[in-house]
Amino acid sequence: MSLGDLIYNLGEWLRTTPANELALAIQKTWLSNLIDSNFWVIPTIQTIHILAIAAVFGSVVMINLRIFQMAGRSRTMSQTVRRYLPWVWWSLLVLLLTGIGMTIGEPVRELTNPVFWIKMVLILIGIAVSLWFQSSVRRNVAMWELTHNGRVAIRVGAGAVIAMWCLIMVCGRWIAYAPT
Amino acid sequence: MILQGLWQGLENSALGQYVAASSWAFPTIETVHVIAIVTVVGSIAVMDLRLLGVASKESAVTEMSRDTLPWTWGAFVIAMISGALLFVSKATTYMVNPFFLWKMVLIAIAGVNMGIFHLFTWRTVHNWDRSPEIPRGAKIAGGVSLGFWVIVVFVARAIGFTLDKFAS
Repeated sequence: MSLGDLIYNLGEWLRTTPANELALAIQKTWLSNLIDSNFWVIPTIQTIHILAIAAVFGSVVMINLRIFQMAGRSRTMSQTVRRYLPWVWWSLLVLLLTGIGMTIGEPVRELTNPVFWIKMVLILIGIAVSLWFQSSVRRNVAMWELTHNGRVAIRVGAGAVIAMWCLIMVCGRWIAYAPT
Repeated sequence: MILQGLWQGLENSALGQYVAASSWAFPTIETVHVIAIVTVVGSIAVMDLRLLGVASKESAVTEMSRDTLPWTWGAFVIAMISGALLFVSKATTYMVNPFFLWKMVLIAIAGVNMGIFHLFTWRTVHNWDRSPEIPRGAKIAGGVSLGFWVIVVFVARAIGFTLDKFAS
């Protein structure tokens, strides 16, 4: 079974779940109508959403470059995390709010969309990894400072985190092209 | 429309026809374009916030520039190449879309802003590299850059919503 078939079948299944009724119920609300009937609301929310992604991704890249010893070498790992991680959390809040706004405006397009749910799962993993990373830096900052001596697992992990945020963006763009 | 023949020719080229006809090419190139522009804006914002004195104040301005600029430029080149591929598939449609034309003008102005900053303000950077007092020129350059890139993202997103509105 190809990836396309898998996504198609996932979409077919989604339409048999309560997500379908939920989407239709949201669509009937005044707020959904308000968002959907004003031409510039969705593009504006999407713009804020993209700018917040830029803040998250820029911050994650800067932290990971520090892990790779490719940037911010004058700063300690703790200082780097204090500089960038709050931007990740606040931007994620903006992403959540704008994401909710887009979902209320176009509930069927999102909630019965297989790519949307794949994206949600990836985001939960991304948040879990970020929480774990934050507590790990607080508990054992020395481990994160030693990467240039060749902690392969940390390097692979940092690369995987960047790849995962890219995959989340891929899903974000492909929500519009998913077979529905 | 100026140079109508050129845009029509690009659209009719094998490459333009391929991107337009393929079911996967446009969305895939568009995805690369989005990731590239997100990297441009994210990395440029880190530098702009340093110039504005809002964030990374403990790091030298030259260090922030060294850490961010290669990524900004690398991602910008990818955004330009992917953007050009998207453009050829609907060249005549883009050339009559005011948001597309504004996007090009705004990016050009952001480039000029960056050029002026590097030609003039940057010359004295060693005097204020670690100073809490950032010269007005640097603050203006950072603020203008941040503001223009925010608007670029908006007009870029608006293109996708208005393609049918202006096309004949």
